[in-house]
Amino acid sequence: MRSRDGNYSFSLRLLVSLLFTLSLNAQEYLISYRYVVKDAIIYNESLQVSKTMKKCNGDTYQPIILENNGSKNLKEIISKNDELFRNYIHKIGLNIKHNEITNNLQNSSTTILTLKTKCFKVDINDNFAKIALFK
Amino acid sequence: MKYYLLLVALLSASMLFGIETQPNDSSTVNSYTQEPLVIENESVVIIQTLKQDQTMLISVTGQGVAPMNTSSPAQAYALAKRAAIADAYRMIAEKVKGVKIDGQDLIKNMMVKRSTIRTSVQAMVKNANVVETTFKDGLCEVEMEITLSHSDF
Repeated sequence: MRSRDGNYSFSLRLLVSLLFTLSLNAQEYLISYRYVVKDAIIYNESLQVSKTMKKCNGDTYQPIILENNGSKNLKEIISKNDELFRNYIHKIGLNIKHNEITNNLQNSSTTILTLKTKCFKVDINDNFAKIALFK
Repeated sequence: MKYYLLLVALLSASMLFGIETQPNDSSTVNSYTQEPLVIENESVVIIQTLKQDQTMLISVTGQGVAPMNTSSPAQAYALAKRAAIADAYRMIAEKVKGVKIDGQDLIKNMMVKRSTIRTSVQAMVKNANVVETTFKDGLCEVEMEITLSHSDF
């Protein structure tokens, strides 16, 4: 016959693991980012976040972990950890398109940095959000 | 006597050649060292080729200006920094991939009416690191580094 303590620890472990798996709801999001720098001044910065309609497959790159205070909205979490997430996007790699024109010795330049729409695996928890790019 | 002089001349010539070849040997040894090669952000252009098992460190400094209509100094700093990062990325792209240049001069009645130079670069930059950021008098400067290795290409 099992002891009461043994049964208690088993059910506790089961409950904790169940809660943990429920709290970690992995989702997939499409994220794109773009901004324009014209004559050293930034314009039209945009970060697009949306849930995927089709499942993304494959392995993921090294994830980034953002702090979360119980929010389920990824956009909200990203806006609270703006600098960290922007650095992560820059590390992933951006497309650069630069055009410069010098007309009668007067110079003007336009640089466009773009992260083309990419699929990210997102695990949102009450305390953190884990974001990783699919390979 | 003639043979003796000829022998002396031959010996001295061979010694001279020996002295000449020594620095060449040392330069080849230096070119295969494992230390990363640094291209500084200066007006002098250094042309280097990336060899196998060798890394190349590229260091640039990008500049950005805050827009006039910002609501706070913090916003001005953030926007200027972003512009500076974009400038640094552009510089890295220019150094690694090169620049496409197109020039056009319009001359009418022996006078230059219009002079136009167009430059463009298109690239993809990954894993660049921001080393230092300074913000002074509305100008933000970002020092950025990227390490290139042979396997990246």
